[in-house]
Amino acid sequence: MAPMRIRPGATVTAAVCAGVLLATSACGGGGGSGSDTIVIGYSGPLSGGAAAYGKNIQDGLQLAIDELNNQGVTVDGEQYRVELRSLDDQYAPDAAATNAQRLAEQDDAAVVFIPHAGGIQAAQELNSSRTEFLLGAYSSDPKIVEQGNELTMMIPPSFESYAEPFVDKLTRNGESRLGLLGTASEYGQEWTKLVTQEWKSRGGQVLSDNSIDYGTVSDFAGPVSRTLAENPDVIFLGGPSQPTAVIIEEARRQGYEGSFLLMDQAKFEEMEEFTDPKNLNDAIGVKPVRNYDDPGTEDLLDAYAEKVTKKRPVTSEVALNYQSAAIVVAAMEQAGSIDDPTAIREAIPDAIGEVGEQFHVSGFPTEITDAGHLRNQDLEAAYRTPDGEYEYLPIEQPDE
Amino acid sequence: MTLFIQQLFDGLALGGVYCLAAIGLTLIFGVLRIPNLAHGTLYMLGAYVTYFFLVTVGVPYVAAIGLAAVVLAVIGVLLERVVFHPLRNAPHTHHMIAAVGAMFFFQAVAQAIWGADFRRMDSPISGSVTILGAQISWQRIVIVVTAVIVLGLLTWFIKRSIHGQTIEAIEQDRTGSSLVGISPSRVSMLTFGLAAALATVAAGLVAPINLLAPTMGDALSLKVFAIIILGGLGSLPGAIVGGFTLALAEVMTSTYVSAAAGEGIAFAVIVLVLAIRPTGLFARAVQR
Repeated sequence: MAPMRIRPGATVTAAVCAGVLLATSACGGGGGSGSDTIVIGYSGPLSGGAAAYGKNIQDGLQLAIDELNNQGVTVDGEQYRVELRSLDDQYAPDAAATNAQRLAEQDDAAVVFIPHAGGIQAAQELNSSRTEFLLGAYSSDPKIVEQGNELTMMIPPSFESYAEPFVDKLTRNGESRLGLLGTASEYGQEWTKLVTQEWKSRGGQVLSDNSIDYGTVSDFAGPVSRTLAENPDVIFLGGPSQPTAVIIEEARRQGYEGSFLLMDQAKFEEMEEFTDPKNLNDAIGVKPVRNYDDPGTEDLLDAYAEKVTKKRPVTSEVALNYQSAAIVVAAMEQAGSIDDPTAIREAIPDAIGEVGEQFHVSGFPTEITDAGHLRNQDLEAAYRTPDGEYEYLPIEQPDE
Repeated sequence: MTLFIQQLFDGLALGGVYCLAAIGLTLIFGVLRIPNLAHGTLYMLGAYVTYFFLVTVGVPYVAAIGLAAVVLAVIGVLLERVVFHPLRNAPHTHHMIAAVGAMFFFQAVAQAIWGADFRRMDSPISGSVTILGAQISWQRIVIVVTAVIVLGLLTWFIKRSIHGQTIEAIEQDRTGSSLVGISPSRVSMLTFGLAAALATVAAGLVAPINLLAPTMGDALSLKVFAIIILGGLGSLPGAIVGGFTLALAEVMTSTYVSAAAGEGIAFAVIVLVLAIRPTGLFARAVQR
């Protein structure tokens, strides 16, 4: 039996044809957001080093959307189903911008969520020019609202508001030596700078900067012993919760008894799962979601355990995005439009008061600033006392 | 002084891990002449499979590492058979592209099975000991001791056993070895299996002091390439000396210069070696 001979040229042609066919059918499918569907776009890291973070935000948005669909969404007298479309950008700014444009143009998403400052800034170049979309910006970097972009909604509190009260609390007994063990990411460096300034402005002494890349260091013992060798009273650190917990454990193991000042990326509730919670005593950071007693907190914790996982706690990444998805859809209802980003943005101030109580989970926003920052007037931070109890302290937010 | 002792032990432990990972890479280079860019992901898979046996199945720590090493040896052999063997006569760029493909594939598999979030693997070896005022955890001592034992066994295997000697024979002269009846194909499989198993031992040892994540191999991958370039591509003693040298340089630089300099030292080493002595410290790499 003679083998069938196929010209290589023919194979290539066939492959190209198949490819084109696939691509066109994919476009057709992608663009098919029916008239009764509201598409919410999301571009975040779903693979690679930051995938867990990207997944948390995606889960928060999806849980809100499920709940909204349960209740029914009516815009301008018509019933809609809300749908989340996610694309992976692996934390790359240019990929995030491309994804956002694709979501806005092909999927007719009027709102696109992006959870990293680089991607947000790249998308801000686009969202008010040819393709209009409202940007759900999940990053505590204040730069994203300083740009004057009119279609940006900044979701978390600005990290600048934390430095002062954190330093206040940890210097009440005359502590003066601050060790730096932050993460080497751009965001981590911004924090390091901020805390350094705040510390120095009180006349405290800032020791050598031992920032390391939490993702690539194989053994944290070295950087920890370097930091401890200078006898700090307080150590600033924080990156993703899990490596932060390991570093804290290492510091306690090496005999450190001072306090920790935690950057907002690290969450108490996640760290408690990774190290003996006793190690976290005498530390200040973001208030754990489960410690809020807002009307919807319990339900979100239950829904997360049931639909996502029982193994991980609900963090503010899940909770804040859960809240903001509800705000966006309420704004669509207020504006009577599902596809006009400007109208939706303008309706947010009124929409905030209209969102159902079950979406109030962790300090629901009380206002949106003119620059587009969702804010809660009663923002609190958490201090874990040397006895392992949580105390809350109010955070003043800067004017924008 | 206490700080120095502390850092010395940390550097030795890190060096042990680097060595075990680098030896596999240098062996593969010696036998197949390819830079296996997927080596870091084999290390990552090794850590996850160890985690699986230790936490999910519940076997003891040492047995978990052993079982994982066996599983990874099989994966290594499969990688050689399925990916690299069919490319044996292809230009070198094809190997690299294939290796990058394998790297993404393994990462995606790990993320699909274990998820993207960090995992913590607790080892039964806890506590620490005070040596000259420095707090050294037992886990780090175990890493150093195990690395030395494994390196000893490996040297014996390659120098004294028949199968090991075939690896060295192929490294030295592929055609000649074939003529005396050594099958290059079998040696390639053996090398890949061995390399993957060694990377697993390294990963199993380091996992308890760090965290598991699908991307944990990326940083190591770069470091081990620096090590084998420093030691000389394909050289076994080069990988050992290079591993400890780089680890100590990294730890000491970040202690006495700055943390950022410590992170960059590996790359400074590559540039210096390539500029001054491109064949590495132990110039074994034979030109074919």
